[in-house]
Amino acid sequence: MSMTESLSHGTSWRRVKSVIFRAFTLLALVFVLGPAIWLIVGVVVKAVPHWSWGVLTHVPSGNGGGLENAILGTLVIMVGVLIIAGTTGVLAGVFLSEFTGVNRKGRERGTILRTGIDVLAGFPSIVLGYVGYVALVVGLHWGFSLLAALIILSLMVVPYITKATETALRQVPTSYREGAEALGMRTGYGLRKVVLRTALPGIVTGLLIAESITVGETAPLLYTAGVTNNLPNWHLVHHPIGYLTYYVWTDWNQPLASLHYISYDASLILLVMVLSLLIVSRLVVARSQRHSEAAR
Amino acid sequence: MEEVSKFKVASSALDAELARLDPDHDRPREVIATKGLNLKFSDKTVLSGVNMNFERGTITALIGPTGSGKSTFLRTINRMNDRVAGFRHEGDVLLDGESIWGDQQDLLTIRRRVGMLFQRPNPFPMSIRDNVVAGVKAHGIARGKQLDVVAEMRLTEVGLWDAVKDRLGDSPYRLSGGQQQLLCLARALAVGPEVLLLDEPTSALDPISTEAVERMLRAMTPALTLIVVTHNLGQARRISDQTMFFFNGQLVEHGATSQVFQNPREIDTERYVQGLMG
Repeated sequence: MSMTESLSHGTSWRRVKSVIFRAFTLLALVFVLGPAIWLIVGVVVKAVPHWSWGVLTHVPSGNGGGLENAILGTLVIMVGVLIIAGTTGVLAGVFLSEFTGVNRKGRERGTILRTGIDVLAGFPSIVLGYVGYVALVVGLHWGFSLLAALIILSLMVVPYITKATETALRQVPTSYREGAEALGMRTGYGLRKVVLRTALPGIVTGLLIAESITVGETAPLLYTAGVTNNLPNWHLVHHPIGYLTYYVWTDWNQPLASLHYISYDASLILLVMVLSLLIVSRLVVARSQRHSEAAR
Repeated sequence: MEEVSKFKVASSALDAELARLDPDHDRPREVIATKGLNLKFSDKTVLSGVNMNFERGTITALIGPTGSGKSTFLRTINRMNDRVAGFRHEGDVLLDGESIWGDQQDLLTIRRRVGMLFQRPNPFPMSIRDNVVAGVKAHGIARGKQLDVVAEMRLTEVGLWDAVKDRLGDSPYRLSGGQQQLLCLARALAVGPEVLLLDEPTSALDPISTEAVERMLRAMTPALTLIVVTHNLGQARRISDQTMFFFNGQLVEHGATSQVFQNPREIDTERYVQGLMG
């Protein structure tokens, strides 16, 4: 075999490898996107033909009615988790990234805290839900209540927010921090005005994941929020609260078409909620990043 | 003859009067002085025994090979090293005759009085105008409409105003590298420093931008005292009054720039300024 033949052989084999690799990446994409598209199309196709706007303005009654209580309940829970887990998670992330420092041997401190957060993220939600039931609903005599649900859901999602915040802050270029420091800015001031602003997309992504989990969670809510067909009433304890995922699950298990419709309606509303969340957060990020290096 | 002597008397009286008017006239001539300064990271000594005076209104060039300790020295003067793990210092750095580590000193005030410009332009992720006034806002020096005045004044001072006056709300990252560095200079000047530390301020810039920055630096004295780390020996010769040569963690030689370059006392200095040692 001559030199040129072996060379051309090498080239064509490289091409084959390249084609195979591309095919695999495409296949992986199909595996990821396929089910999502199938799910969305499925829900839309089943829900839209029977859609009635009354679903938004009526509470469940008999074998039909609407989902007003569950929509408002889910919104209240989302806002509550955003307040509790959002504040805690972002502050914890700031602490881990900015204030743990290094020990005398030059090693990073905060390893135990980070491990603890990873462990918390690994708990099955049903376990956290049961803990909430035993400790809060029964133990503290709160009964099925908004507060119990918020605390347990916050515990569930706070690791995601903390991790995202810490990672985002660590990716802020040292030159920004040094610039702020060299101008004589207070640590907290520089953090607020320069560093956090740069890290915002990462932090918002963390919050988004947390809220998406919150919207879709069912098991821990069954144990803590209970459920009710009444509208949310601003009582933190002793009053159960309704939420959409409950109706997706329960109504689907009923032998009635009218309830199946409600189940699909609830799914559709959940999808719209998550989508709006996604759009709003992207807008927030785009606005805050109009002066960023990436947006140049 | 009488005329001339009269003129001399008048001129010396004028000098005395001018000296009295100088706001710095009763302050030490050395705005920065180091006394037996040793710098260490953990147990490794990076610089030892530096005694040096920096006179008000002069430009000092810090030259030497990579790892010679000149940047560490520079970053010590505004205490940027204090938070670095394992950093320790012996001896002292005096700012206007007072230790920068003294109990009475406020770190933020030191940083305001001793500004810094970095190797790579580092504008903040905010508009051009907000960049200029970032420090001014942080120190509460000006607010509201005054900020616009500060922004215009400082941008004019660094020669950037005409280029950016129509896009003050734009991202600073759309500017060229040289313009970004001038913006950072404007930001540093805005808080009214007395001393400016420059860590290879033009090493990331093209020759034309470098010239613009050098012109700015020369124009800033004697109102400001500049200490410049540079790897560009030509730059050191062009802009500085005195030069310090660092090598292997020692201040090998210092003196008037012309002396250090034309008449070095030490063999290492001679080899370095002649380009025989990198």
